[in-house]
Amino acid sequence: MQVKRLILPGAMVAFIVLLALLAPVLPLPDPVRQDVANRLAAWLPGSPLGRDEFGRDILSRIIWGARASLAVAFASAAIACLVGTTLGLLAGWFRGLAEFFAVRTADVVLCFPPILLALLVVTLLGPGTATLILVLSILYLPGFVRVTYAEVLSARGQDYVEAVRALGAPTPRILSRTVLPNIAGPVLVQFSLAVAAAVVVESGLSFLGLGVVPPTPSWGLMIRGARATMEQAPTYLLYPCLALTVTILAMNMLCDALRDAVDRKGGTRAPKLRAVDRILPGLFPTREPAPLLEVQGLTVDIATPGGAIRPVEDVSFAVRAGETLAIVGESGSGKSITATAVMGLLPPVAQVTAGVARFEGRDLLDLPEEERRRLRGGAIAMVFQDPMSSLNPVHRVGDQVAEAIRAHRDVSAAAASQEAVELLKRVGIADPERRARAYPHELSGGMRQRVMIAMAIANRPRLLIADEPTTALDVTVQAGILDLLAQLRRETGMGVVLITHSLGVVAETADEVVVMYAAQVVERGTVAEVFARPLHPYTRALLAAVPEGDAEPEGIPGVVPRPDAWPPGCRFAPRCSFATPICERPQVLEQAGERLVRCIRWKDLA
Amino acid sequence: MLYVAKRIAISLVLVWVVATVVFLALHMVPGDPAEVLLSTGGTSPDPYAVAELRERLGLDRPIMVQYGEFIARLARGDLGTSLVDDYPVAEEILLRLPRTLELILAGTLIAVSIALPAATYAAVHAGGAFDRAASAVAAILQALPVFVLGTLLILVLAQWLRWMPAGGYVPFAQDPGRHLLLLLLPAVAVAKGLAATVFRMARAAVLEQLSRDHVRTARAKGLTPRRVVRRHVVRNAMIPVTTVLGLQMGTLLGGTVLVEFVFNWPGLSTPLLRAVETRDYPMVVGIVLTVSGLFLLINLAMDLLYAVLDPRIARS
Repeated sequence: MQVKRLILPGAMVAFIVLLALLAPVLPLPDPVRQDVANRLAAWLPGSPLGRDEFGRDILSRIIWGARASLAVAFASAAIACLVGTTLGLLAGWFRGLAEFFAVRTADVVLCFPPILLALLVVTLLGPGTATLILVLSILYLPGFVRVTYAEVLSARGQDYVEAVRALGAPTPRILSRTVLPNIAGPVLVQFSLAVAAAVVVESGLSFLGLGVVPPTPSWGLMIRGARATMEQAPTYLLYPCLALTVTILAMNMLCDALRDAVDRKGGTRAPKLRAVDRILPGLFPTREPAPLLEVQGLTVDIATPGGAIRPVEDVSFAVRAGETLAIVGESGSGKSITATAVMGLLPPVAQVTAGVARFEGRDLLDLPEEERRRLRGGAIAMVFQDPMSSLNPVHRVGDQVAEAIRAHRDVSAAAASQEAVELLKRVGIADPERRARAYPHELSGGMRQRVMIAMAIANRPRLLIADEPTTALDVTVQAGILDLLAQLRRETGMGVVLITHSLGVVAETADEVVVMYAAQVVERGTVAEVFARPLHPYTRALLAAVPEGDAEPEGIPGVVPRPDAWPPGCRFAPRCSFATPICERPQVLEQAGERLVRCIRWKDLA
Repeated sequence: MLYVAKRIAISLVLVWVVATVVFLALHMVPGDPAEVLLSTGGTSPDPYAVAELRERLGLDRPIMVQYGEFIARLARGDLGTSLVDDYPVAEEILLRLPRTLELILAGTLIAVSIALPAATYAAVHAGGAFDRAASAVAAILQALPVFVLGTLLILVLAQWLRWMPAGGYVPFAQDPGRHLLLLLLPAVAVAKGLAATVFRMARAAVLEQLSRDHVRTARAKGLTPRRVVRRHVVRNAMIPVTTVLGLQMGTLLGGTVLVEFVFNWPGLSTPLLRAVETRDYPMVVGIVLTVSGLFLLINLAMDLLYAVLDPRIARS
């Protein structure tokens, strides 16, 4: 797909370059032969585009002009590339004086507006092709120095470079064998950018009469000449403008496509989909008080270039007021996507394809966006995993809390600020007046998460969804945050959905637990029961992985499969120590007393 | 405050570096500088004239003395006199600079006030019709050299449609309406490149911010989409855009030279181009130093603005 984008601009640039190269052998009239009798003729046999103000053939001058422009552009880009790459290599490899010299030289060039530096050099050396090439290669030197220098620095630290160094390979060989191939991509991009920019500056200087010297044809000079006669012969002005613009457009497109292709190759970190963890299934909840939130058969699809994947499949659970429901599972099990779907905050590529999420009787998934917005941060609030990235770095935290208040209630800014301070105090932040004026980066991780919680409870939500609220925090402050959530739940009677990968957290705070694995609920029940007698092998494995006393925690072998490659039968079977051939069949969620479990062998294993 | 002091100190050092490079440029030219400046084509210049120029530029003295005097005169704001008409360079620049500044300011305002809202709208509705159309326009504008756009504007709006004057200048005090009318086309031409770049950068920055966690938080708070975009997306996206804006001003200042030429706008480029042609070295040096100084000043302003926009910078 990336390569496709290279084809059209690549072909255009290749065509223009070819035309310029072939100019001497094409059957074109002499571009500098004057014929004053036919000046500004719009059309003549053998001159399809007409003649210029000296009666010279315009088509021929445009093609020869391409030759002049491209020769200057490629020559200067090549010189800049050669010198700049060398300087960058030396600077990055030897550091010290070479580094200072190369990097500072590049910085100095960047202190001048490009055309001004060019005009200074033209004053000293006089106009002409040689001056142009010199000026342009100076202008584009810094780009090459910087790119090479940065790449060498990063390559130096890489294991394989360290390894060949340790083997005693001589420096030039290391540079040419291991570093050059790595920087080839970025340098190529830089080269294409330099050529495109050089065409622009060359034409500009020629247009000012300070670049290519007449009578050599050049697009800039042609436009300069045609300006004087544009009323009589506007087409003569349009042709070189068109040639120049199309050339630059093709080059820019090629640069963009090249840059994207190179970036793609360099960044092996393809955007990872946050997969699901495991959650517990709760198909037919049968307890008395009507649930606050009841999710049934929730299924989410994500469109990817390789087809749709399903990170959440047929997930059901329910939360009652004053209760905490924990959704547990490894990274990639689908637990966060489940929560995001309930909040209506899924990214555009993700779509709820089935299911209902009834909140106080209304199906959240079916509400108009405006009504969902009013619920979000109002009756339903959410606390996210990483409080650093989840707070806006450029606004004061007090303002961010106040903003949550004013989004839902018609209060004055002053009153909201006052209330924000009270909320900060309520979540246990000392000196809340002062902290309210702080920016997120000035607070500790624990305090930032307290700010997030203050924001979440600002409008007395009836349901709080906490997505791994302690994962990004130091172990020492995790307990404090969990205690705060439990205390707020007791005081306000709100229901809490706590998403976590740690069963330890579940044991302390939750009433009910949903275990998710590979997009599905694999076990669901009360915390007391599940902990006392786990039915699903995955739940067992998770419990065994919790460090307890002196016993060595047991890891679970293998990793959660990727959402585009779920195993056909039981999704946990490849990692399960109890797997038998029967596990290759798809598994259903079965009622096991008060509980639900998705394991065909649960009775055997009990 | 420390940050501000540091940025100002760095800018002063850069001004000094620029001045030194300009001073050295004349001496790095192979051969005798005076001879180089007077030579036209292959003919060697009159030795008498060369000697006179050497004395006039002080080239007959030791290089360190010349350098010391050059810097000392710069510090006093003395840029020497024109080789062509003995007119003080500083006075010529003071007369012309406000007109160039006006053009730059008008161009920047036009570029930013069009490109930013367009980029925000395009990014929020990424992939939509407006996004695709605006991105295509930006790509074409970026490929259209500033002097080509200027010339075409004159051809279409002035020559064919006769809606606009083809160029020229009237002082604001003399006829404000005419002054602004004459300013419009050059300002649009100056705005072109900046608008295209700002559009592309801002669109990318807004797209990136849209996927950030704090935007999800803002939505989770129940803010209206409008408010989410204004306070939590655009505000944050401005931070990278400011940096680009500063660097782009170099291209914009260069483009202004071309635009002034195309539209006969009597700013700094008139004496600059004349001086380059007549090889009036003090005049070229004076204008190059002035414009480069302006460039550094704009970048300093951008650095300071950056600190205002991003509280993480100023305090660390």
